[in-house]
Amino acid sequence: MLQAINLTKRFGAFTAVDALNLSVKSGEIYCLLGANGAGKSTTINLFLNFIAPTSGTARIKSMDVTDQKAQTKQLLSYIPENLMLYPNLTGWENLDFFCGLGGKDYSKDQLEQLLKESGLQPDFIHQRVSSYSKGMRQKVGIALALAREAEVLLLDEPTSGLDPKASNEFSELLLEMKEKGVATLMATHDLFRAKDTGTHIGIMKEGKLIEQFTSGEVSFRDLEHTYLRLNYNA
Amino acid sequence: MHQLWIIVIKEIKIAIREKLVLILASTIVMLIAVALYAGYLSYQQQRSIIVKTKAEKRQEWLNQGDKHPHIAAHYGTFVFKPKTALSSFDFGLDAYNGTSIYLEAHYQHEFMFRPAQDHSSMIRFGELSSALVLKVLVPLLIIFLTFTSYTQERESGTLKLLVSQGIALSRITWGKILAYCSIMTVILSPFFLGMLLLSTISVQQESIPDMTTRATLMILLYGVYLFLFIAFSVWVSQRSSSGRNALLTLLSCWMLLVILMPKTVANLSESFYSLPSMREFKATIEKDKIDGIDGKQPRSEYLAKLRKQYLEKYEVDSVQQLPFNYEGVSMQAGEEYGNTIYDHHMDKLQKIFESQNQLVSISSMFNPFLSVQNLSMALAGTDMYTFKHFEDVVEKYRRELVRRMNRDMAENSKYGDFYGYEAGIDLWQEIEDFSYRTPTAQEVLRNYRVELTSLLLWMSLIIWLIIGFKGNIKPIDG
Repeated sequence: MLQAINLTKRFGAFTAVDALNLSVKSGEIYCLLGANGAGKSTTINLFLNFIAPTSGTARIKSMDVTDQKAQTKQLLSYIPENLMLYPNLTGWENLDFFCGLGGKDYSKDQLEQLLKESGLQPDFIHQRVSSYSKGMRQKVGIALALAREAEVLLLDEPTSGLDPKASNEFSELLLEMKEKGVATLMATHDLFRAKDTGTHIGIMKEGKLIEQFTSGEVSFRDLEHTYLRLNYNA
Repeated sequence: MHQLWIIVIKEIKIAIREKLVLILASTIVMLIAVALYAGYLSYQQQRSIIVKTKAEKRQEWLNQGDKHPHIAAHYGTFVFKPKTALSSFDFGLDAYNGTSIYLEAHYQHEFMFRPAQDHSSMIRFGELSSALVLKVLVPLLIIFLTFTSYTQERESGTLKLLVSQGIALSRITWGKILAYCSIMTVILSPFFLGMLLLSTISVQQESIPDMTTRATLMILLYGVYLFLFIAFSVWVSQRSSSGRNALLTLLSCWMLLVILMPKTVANLSESFYSLPSMREFKATIEKDKIDGIDGKQPRSEYLAKLRKQYLEKYEVDSVQQLPFNYEGVSMQAGEEYGNTIYDHHMDKLQKIFESQNQLVSISSMFNPFLSVQNLSMALAGTDMYTFKHFEDVVEKYRRELVRRMNRDMAENSKYGDFYGYEAGIDLWQEIEDFSYRTPTAQEVLRNYRVELTSLLLWMSLIIWLIIGFKGNIKPIDG
C-alpha cells in the first residue's frame, strides 16, 4: 500500500532522508522510531507530497505521490503531532467540513456517531474546538480518517503530549483501523507505543533506515536496547 | 465547485464568530450610514436652495421691468448646476468648483457657493463622504479581515490538514476570496440598495437622464475595487510567512496606494503643469481684451475696422445713417471679440487641466485607487469633464442671452439714444429658462478609457497571481 523506493530528500548539504526503502501493507502499522532530526517527519511529509523528493519515489497504492497528487491524497488521512482544527468551529462542524471537502456526504447523526466511535465525549461534539484538549482533537482526526474511509493513515507523533489514558485510547483506535485493513505509517518517539501497537518497527538515524523488524520479533527490552545502542551507542 | 462552496461557508462561519470582525463591520456600516445621511442632507439642502433660488432668479429676470436690453444684459441672472442624487455619495469637485454662476454681458464670472471656500485646506482630505469611506476605510476593514486568512492556517497547521485532503491551493484561495466578497456584500448591501433606491426615486431625472445606469455602474465599480483589495490581501497573506508580515505588507500597500500616491501624483501634476492664479488669469484676459491676443489686433483697431466695413457695405458716411442702431452691432462685436480672447485663454487653461488629468490617468495604471476615484466622480456627475460640460453649456447660454439683447438693441433702438429705448417682458421671455442635462454615463466614461483599462489590467493581474502564479507556496515551513 505504502512504498518508499530509494527515497531521498536533501535540504542543501543536509540529507534529511537518505535512500529510504520501506513498504507498509494493508492492515499493517509501521512505526518509525528515531531521535529528533532522524528524518521521520520528513518521510511523512514526502508521502504527503508537502515536499518533493530529491530522488527516489514515494508511492501509495503503486501511484507516485508527486505524479498523482489528487488520487493519492484521496486515499490517505493525516494526523500530525498537534492536530489543529478550526477553533471557532465545533468538532462536529470541523468533521463535516473536512468530510465535505473529501466528497463524503454524511448526515448529522452519522457524523456524531463517527465522533463517538472515535472516543469523543458526546458533550463535546457540539462545542467549539477551542475548548478541546489535544487528545480530543486527535480523536476528531481519527473520526476524520474513519469518515474518509482512508486506506492509508499517516501519523506524525500523534501521541506526543497525550496523557497515558488518552494515548491508550488512541492506540485502541489505531488497532481498530488496522483490523479494517488500513495501512498506517507512524513516526513516533514512543518505544512502548511502537511495540504495543505497531506490527512493524523501523529505526532511522541521520536519514537512513538502519534497522527494521516486526514487533513480534523483539521484546520491549530488546527494542529499547537496540534503539539506545543504535542512536546513542549506549 | 462543491468544495469551493464548502470552503466559502466555513470561512463565513468563522468570520461571523470573530468578534473583531463584527465590531469593525459595524463601525464601517455606521460610518457609511452617517456619511450617506450627511451627504443626503447636504444634497437635499443644496437642492432645495437651488430650486428655490433658481425660481426666484427666473422671476427676477422676467419681472425686472422695462429697461434697455444692454442694461438687462448687465443685470444678468444666475444659473445653477443641478445636484445629482449620486453627488450625495461622492461630492467630487462640487465642493471646490461651486454650483452657481452669475451671467453677465462682457464677463465670464467664476463659480460661486463652493463649500470648500468656507473650510480650511484640511477639507480636501477630511470630508467624510460615503465614497471616501468605501475607497479609504473599507479597504482597511478588508485588510484586518483577511491578513491572517492564510498565515493563521499555516501557523496553526490547518493548512497542512487542508492540503493533505487533496485540495488545490488555488481552490482554497478562491474559497477565501469568495467568502470575504460575500461578507463585504452583506455588510455593504443596505448601503448599495439604498443608493440604488435613492437614484431610482430621485427627482433629478430631468438633469441626469440615466441615474439608474449610473448607480448600477457605481455599485459595479466599487464591487470591482473591493474585490481587488480582497483578492490582493488574500494573496499577500498566502505569500507571507507570518500574520505580522502580511499585516505590515498590506498596511504599507494601503498607505502607498490610498494616501501617499494620490497626494504625490496631485502635487507632481501641479508642479509639472502649473496653473496661473485666478488673478493672473483674469488680468491677462482684461489686458488682451484691450491689446488683442499677443498685441496683434487691439480692440480699438478691431472695432474701427468693423465700423469701416459697415460704412462701406451700406455706402454711408456715418453710423447714424445705418438702417439699424450700430451700437447694438458694435456691442455684439465687442462681446465676440472678448469671447475670442476668453476662449483662447480658456483653451490654454483647459490644456493645463488636461495635462494634469492625463498624468493622474496614467498614474492610475499603477494604482487602481486613482482609477476608482476618477470613475466614481464621473458616475456621480461631480468630475472635471462634467463640470467642463456644464461650464460650456452655461457659456453658450450666456452668449445667446447677450446676443439677443444686442440684436434687440440694434433692431429697435436708435444710435445715441441709449436711454430712450426700453424693452419689456416680451424680450425677457424670449430668453428660455436655463436647463441642463448632464451627459450620459457612456459619454462621460469615454473620457476615462485609461482608468477603465487600468481596472481591467488590475483584475487580470490579480486573477493571474491567484491562478497562474507558480510561487514556492508550501503548507509547511522549512
